[in-house]
Amino acid sequence: MQRRIPVVAVAVLTLLAALPVATAQAQLKGEYKIGVLEPLTGPLSSEGKRHLAGYEIMRDLINARGGVMGKKLTFAIADIPNPTAAASEANRLIAREGVKILTGSFSSTLCGAASEAAARHNVIYWESSCVDPRFTRRGLKTTFRTEIDGIGFGWYQVEFAVKYVAPRLGKKPSELRVVFLSEDSSYGQGATEAARARAKKEFGMQELAAEYYNFQTINDFTPILIKFKQLNPDILFGISRNNDAILLWKQAKEQSFVPKAVITAGATGFGSPDFGKALGNDGNGPFALLEPGPGFKVDGLRPEGREIEAAFRAAVQKATGSYPLGGHQLAAGGLWLLKLVLDKAGTDELGAFRKAVFALDMPVGSLVNGWGAKFDETGQNSNDRVQHYMLQWQNGELVTVWPEQFTTNRTKWLPLPAWDQRK
Amino acid sequence: MAALPQLVVSTLLLGGIYALIAVGLTLIFGIMRVVNFAHGEFLMLGMYLAFWAFALWHLDPYVVLVIALPVFFAVGLLSYWLVMQGVIKASHNVQIFTTVGLSIALQNAALVLWTGDYRFVRPWHASEVVRLGGAALNLSQIVAFAVAVAFTGGLMAFMKFTQAGRVMRATAEDREAATLMGIDTERVYRLAWTIGIVCVGVAGVLLSPVYTVYPQAGLQFVLLAYVVVVLGGLGDMRGALFGSLIVAAVETVGAYTLGIAWKEVLYFVLFILVLVFRPAGLFGQRGAETLGM
Repeated sequence: MQRRIPVVAVAVLTLLAALPVATAQAQLKGEYKIGVLEPLTGPLSSEGKRHLAGYEIMRDLINARGGVMGKKLTFAIADIPNPTAAASEANRLIAREGVKILTGSFSSTLCGAASEAAARHNVIYWESSCVDPRFTRRGLKTTFRTEIDGIGFGWYQVEFAVKYVAPRLGKKPSELRVVFLSEDSSYGQGATEAARARAKKEFGMQELAAEYYNFQTINDFTPILIKFKQLNPDILFGISRNNDAILLWKQAKEQSFVPKAVITAGATGFGSPDFGKALGNDGNGPFALLEPGPGFKVDGLRPEGREIEAAFRAAVQKATGSYPLGGHQLAAGGLWLLKLVLDKAGTDELGAFRKAVFALDMPVGSLVNGWGAKFDETGQNSNDRVQHYMLQWQNGELVTVWPEQFTTNRTKWLPLPAWDQRK
Repeated sequence: MAALPQLVVSTLLLGGIYALIAVGLTLIFGIMRVVNFAHGEFLMLGMYLAFWAFALWHLDPYVVLVIALPVFFAVGLLSYWLVMQGVIKASHNVQIFTTVGLSIALQNAALVLWTGDYRFVRPWHASEVVRLGGAALNLSQIVAFAVAVAFTGGLMAFMKFTQAGRVMRATAEDREAATLMGIDTERVYRLAWTIGIVCVGVAGVLLSPVYTVYPQAGLQFVLLAYVVVVLGGLGDMRGALFGSLIVAAVETVGAYTLGIAWKEVLYFVLFILVLVFRPAGLFGQRGAETLGM
């Protein structure tokens, strides 16, 4: 008899543990469908699939926590490999699937076209990832963005250079000699121009060069690396997509180009896991501004953020076997915030929805990724509420290194040593 | 001036890559008068062959080269029989639409079969650098350049000194006259297409250690290959090699002096100038410009 007690206890505990989820799911009345637009084929497909995976994992967590407006959240998914497809698929989801809210789209080259199409139908467009600063400056009442814009990326890149890198190089910000190298899409230009303006006007950094390239056709960085090597900069600020970052870094090694620090931003290029896969330990050293990665201290968050963040990490770990990547986190952070807004508004009617969005006032640490929320009148979440983190490539992995109060990891290789000393 | 040796080396190595891709394209155009818009996709297939051989059996891309020759010979023959044979006598518009269709079909087949993930081939020589004077040379690119020169020379010799080459040239010059002389032009086209595909397939294998492998990998090179072919002269193998070096020089020197954003502006200005003032290209056969390019 005594031997049976633990078995019974385990069974009861298991049932109790499953109860909140089962109850929450049982209480869901009907379904609420939204449209999800992602580049699932074409050059951005890897990132688009990862972004979609983030949405799907968070959708399941949301449904286990009462769904949206008491209904089970479901997706109508569409593939948008290019801006033309983005507009036509947005139209299709609105007309055929009857969705009142569209979300996506990972890329700055896609979000503009998709949101224009949504606006023509007076349908809400909830962007969780693209960072083109122009996205929320078109006077569209239907457009909202949870992620920071490109200006925020540039702002954070310079912030890190000034507060963290300059003291470690023994220089004042105005003594830093910097070069900028970016792909030339609206994403790259938006972020880089913001960084250039802040670096020069606010801190008087010495800009030695600023170069843009087409990431779809670039096949040789050697001439620009020769030029940069001669300029001998302290910092290389970069924005890249994917293959371009890999080629750049591979050729930087060939040319023995060694700036003291490389500060990049975004989940693509230097921030993509492909960079580590392609280069292994040769990739060690560069920084990438991202959502939090390994080393992130969840206990630094507010209680309401801590629970969903922990649940999301565990779910991604279970589904993918790895720590949530940038694409996962951007999608999940945006979708969780959409749930909060819909629950508060109780409807997808535009007027009530907007009122609920603008009423949000959540401090940093309240949401997934340690984000907060405070939207301005353009539909843009505030840069200072969308806390971002600097990650560094260390032994084939991106780990969180800044702000130091949020992480257990510390920076290595600053200033960058010779190529053979970054192991 | 300190940068000069490196700029020269970069031009040669980049030109080698372009030549490797362009030589097959110019052969197909020269003999068949077909602009193959699917050329980049055959390059991509070569890259995937190298990737899978490396990932599954740890075969070095240079070993895969030996396998690539018969594999792409078969791919060339198959694609000719299934696709090109039916349109070889059709108008240039039909041929263009057919090869564009083939390009999109191959891209999407790769996407379905192997996903859009980026793949990397990292043999020991992928990041091997040879330092010569003040210049750094990537070993994989040196090999690509050497093979490009060898292929161009080989094809030129083949066209000039062999019976098959003479027959091909005769067909290219005047198809109807060649037919009247008893030449099986159908066979000539099949051979030209197949050799062109073998060339670009081999190029794909050689470029796999240098660039990322993914379904759209061919796109970044194919536009350049057209520029090279037009610049050098449509259908001219020697022109393809020199055209490649000229485009690479314009890109490299332009990017270094004016900025990397200018490189495409510069070589497309050159492209337009050649089309306006010397439509047959720098080394091209007379009359090539009348063929719908």
